Amino acid sequence: MASGFKRTRHGIALRLEPVETAVVENLVDQLKQMLEELPKGDPGLAELGISESTEAPRDAALARLFPDGYREDGEAAGEFRRYTEASLRDGKERDAAVVLASLGADEIVLDAEQAQSWLRSLNDLRLALGTRLEISEDGYERFEELDWNSPEYAMFVTYDWLTQMQDSLVGCMLSR
Amino acid sequence: MSTAPVELDQPTSETDVRPDLPWLTIVWNDPINLMSYVTYVFQAVFGFGKEKAERLMMDVHKKGRAVVASGAREEMERHVEVLHSYGLWATVKKDD
Repeated sequence: MASGFKRTRHGIALRLEPVETAVVENLVDQLKQMLEELPKGDPGLAELGISESTEAPRDAALARLFPDGYREDGEAAGEFRRYTEASLRDGKERDAAVVLASLGADEIVLDAEQAQSWLRSLNDLRLALGTRLEISEDGYERFEELDWNSPEYAMFVTYDWLTQMQDSLVGCMLSR
Repeated sequence: MSTAPVELDQPTSETDVRPDLPWLTIVWNDPINLMSYVTYVFQAVFGFGKEKAERLMMDVHKKGRAVVASGAREEMERHVEVLHSYGLWATVKKDD
């Protein structure tokens, strides 16, 4: 992905090396598994987009992907979650599916809607990884001191790569 | 416009049809979402121009939060739902 996303006559284009394709595929698969950890609730209600969960997920990364809609009103936050969490999850699953379906081509070319899905999904991945890495406003110095062979360093390199990829996609989408 | 000193009908509690106090959509700062991305989301979701979107993004970044919309509660909840779909940390709050 030496140069990231590019705006072309046919849409927004991206070339990935096979190893990069494998990384994206693996990360999106992990995201899908995380999404399945959310409580599904009553199937009848679920069809109406109503879930039974009124509490934020315990897992920090999941909680970041499904934040409270109210900050100082627990009851309102619970009701908001009951009515929005299922459709939020469905949207994330749809976005993830769009990303997976577009992988594999020598040059990935996205229309405007697919680009939105990529944008949101890349952000979901960054939120999940960034939460696990405990990314803060303090900058990245902490990671530069890590052992290059540590799993955390590998995770940070991946996070940084996703950041560059997302930034290049935003650049394409803003410059219309 | 009339300048005649007429007695205005003051709204009483029975006739007051003003909507509930406006509700707010607040976006909070977080260390992961990119500044360029947040600007893009404000433009895409609210149709803000580049300048307004950037100003609000900078408010979020520097002041820790920004009010990005106000109005009826249901409308604010829809905004927050959409902002959550983009991964922004947004909440609804009653204006006080």
